Amino acid sequence: MRTYILKRLLLMVPTLVGITLLTYAIVRLAPGDPVGAMIRMQAGNVNPRVFEREADRIRQRLGLKDYNFWGADPDRIDAAEKIVNAFYGYGRWVWHMAQGDFGESMQQRTTEGSKDPLDLYVERAHVSVILNLIAEVLIFLIAVPVGLMAARYSGRLFDRGSTIVLLGLWSLPQVLAGTLLLSLLARGGIGLEGFPYAGLHGAGAETMGWGEWFVDTLWHATLPVLCLVYGGLAYLAKLGRASLLENLRADYVRTARAKGLPERRVVYHHALRNSLLPMITTMVMMLPMLLGGSVVVERIFTIPGMGNLFVGAAMQRDLAVIMFGTLVYGTLALLSLLLADILYAWADPRIRYD
Amino acid sequence: MTDGRTTRVATSVTPGGEPAGPPRTYGSIVWGQLKKRPSAMVSLAFIVLLALAAILAPFIGGEVPIRWVEGGEASWPIFRCLTNGEYVAMVAFLLGALLPITIRLVRPGAEQVGASPMLRALAIHAAVLAVVAGLLFGMREPERSYGFYLERADEAETAWFPLIAYPRNPGFSELPFKEQPPSWLGWLAPESYPPGSWAHPLGTGRIGDDVLIRILYGARTALNIGFVAVGISLAIGVLLGAISGNFGGWVDLVLMRVAEIVMSIPRLILIIIMITVIPERWIPPIWTVVLVLGVTGWTGTYRLMRAELFRIRGEDYMTAARALGVRTGRLLIRHAIPNGLAPILVGATFGIAGAVFLEVTLAFLGLVQTPSWGMMLNDGRQHLEYWWLWVTSGSAIFLTVFAYNLLGEGIRDAIDPRLRI
Repeated sequence: MRTYILKRLLLMVPTLVGITLLTYAIVRLAPGDPVGAMIRMQAGNVNPRVFEREADRIRQRLGLKDYNFWGADPDRIDAAEKIVNAFYGYGRWVWHMAQGDFGESMQQRTTEGSKDPLDLYVERAHVSVILNLIAEVLIFLIAVPVGLMAARYSGRLFDRGSTIVLLGLWSLPQVLAGTLLLSLLARGGIGLEGFPYAGLHGAGAETMGWGEWFVDTLWHATLPVLCLVYGGLAYLAKLGRASLLENLRADYVRTARAKGLPERRVVYHHALRNSLLPMITTMVMMLPMLLGGSVVVERIFTIPGMGNLFVGAAMQRDLAVIMFGTLVYGTLALLSLLLADILYAWADPRIRYD
Repeated sequence: MTDGRTTRVATSVTPGGEPAGPPRTYGSIVWGQLKKRPSAMVSLAFIVLLALAAILAPFIGGEVPIRWVEGGEASWPIFRCLTNGEYVAMVAFLLGALLPITIRLVRPGAEQVGASPMLRALAIHAAVLAVVAGLLFGMREPERSYGFYLERADEAETAWFPLIAYPRNPGFSELPFKEQPPSWLGWLAPESYPPGSWAHPLGTGRIGDDVLIRILYGARTALNIGFVAVGISLAIGVLLGAISGNFGGWVDLVLMRVAEIVMSIPRLILIIIMITVIPERWIPPIWTVVLVLGVTGWTGTYRLMRAELFRIRGEDYMTAARALGVRTGRLLIRHAIPNGLAPILVGATFGIAGAVFLEVTLAFLGLVQTPSWGMMLNDGRQHLEYWWLWVTSGSAIFLTVFAYNLLGEGIRDAIDPRLRI
């Protein structure tokens, strides 16, 4: 097992290089530069004269002296040189990263705060982690009993009803659900304006006591978490139902029943334990979503999370921030794949990897 | 088996020993199971009707008349104005509807075992479609018409307009009609709405555009995204998965790493970068979305197909085919892939639903410039008081995704009742 894990960890290195190199190459080799992307994001397609004027203004503001953000006049550089430059740039990024320097966010050049991508992500990390962890725990706590009931009473009313409801929840676009929750429960659509509609903390959160801060955060997180939960809940509950159903028909359950064990013990002790495993691995696979998956919710509820930062950077071709996000996301994704495999082997002695 | 020389290989035999008609293929068994599930059939009918409505959109709502008689001269303007793409879509729909007939025609007799009739019929129809598309795009130039007929409707002796005679892209003259609630509400509540009519059954939008027409054209985007993107990812995933699973070894190792790379690059980020970097004059943004979705979405199919092939590789019929000297390419395409395709079909229907959702997210982020449901929902979301804007687009998205998910469930049940998720 230890050799297997070591081998997988070693195989992660070329994969990570592939991920970052591919992302770097796409961002670097594509026509245009971040300045152009910024103009297009703000004003759409403008005519060339306006574009040049606007581009000059932005370059001056950002303190970029070169004609092109990448440091060369695009008219005087040929494709081969561009590729060489990109490889050189990638090498430089890796070298600097190995020394703990992740580059500098272009977007934040004009602001007061830190420009280091690491700081930018860490600043927003606690928001994303709080939201997504509450959501994951809730998903698990609701999905297990729902899946259990549906499987035990399969073909009966509860099963049919829950199947339709879960499918319906799964088909509901997050944009619509979030907007409706926000306008009905937070902005006074039906006379309820109880819930806060922006941010994750109320005013003066820094001076609050520990308990007060906790309650305040939960209160602010209610609607966003609701919005994050329902889709994953539907998926996981359906998965749980399927896997429990399969286990309930397995031979060992028949044996357990035949030797006279009470039904409760058969279901909870034997079948449920075995069907929790695929649910847990699915939850593990959902982990990388922490980083970019909640961008819709973050935008609707105006929460400064990592998803918003990552997506915003992608829109403006903010290279350093994109690269850092890709690295973290890629590592998380690969680690969760590995963790899922290890969990399987650990829980099921029949699976051996060496 | 009377004379000992003819052997009926694929003929199913009833318990009485009588041959039961033509050979039952795997596809026909699954279809027979699927037909027993009302929810799946209703979903399928909904999707087919939606596709039909999207294809026939110019006949349902628009500004070009179907028939126009002026000065004793009759003409059919709409057929001159339909684009080549619309004609190709119509032919494709027709060919799809005729597929069962072709399958029956090419089905081999009970005595012989040929290529799957389904595959042969598909190949014939694809060839016909390709010829039609080539001829249309090579020889025909559609006419363009901008509200010309609507303005002169009085001058014609006869003018058959579409059900909703209203410009698809209204100009400034239409602005007074903006943000009107569904026009039939006047009949239900005359005191609070203008007099009832069928002029705008679903109301009008932010620039005086008819919501129903926008829904119909948005359906085109939704169906395109779903089918083309999933088609591309299926093709890549099935091919690579079959290669990886069949050969194993270092080929598998390398392909698996490639799949891991693609899986570990956040998809949304990749699509956003691609949209912002690929100039609109190369590929319209919506096709960038479709391409990136297709090129990045194959990993799930790949893993499924690879696992299926590990199983199929050792089956007796594969050994038999190999012993007969069947070449590897033919072995994969004719024997291995068709037998591993079933679970992939399920993934494909869920993939289409996911693609529709992704378009909504991109529209929410302001990255889609094509008329689409996501864009309508995003417009409507900012002005909830115009409820007909978000209710219509929201329910269009919900119903379509729901139909795809129900259909996917139905297919999964039909394939393997044990694997119900």
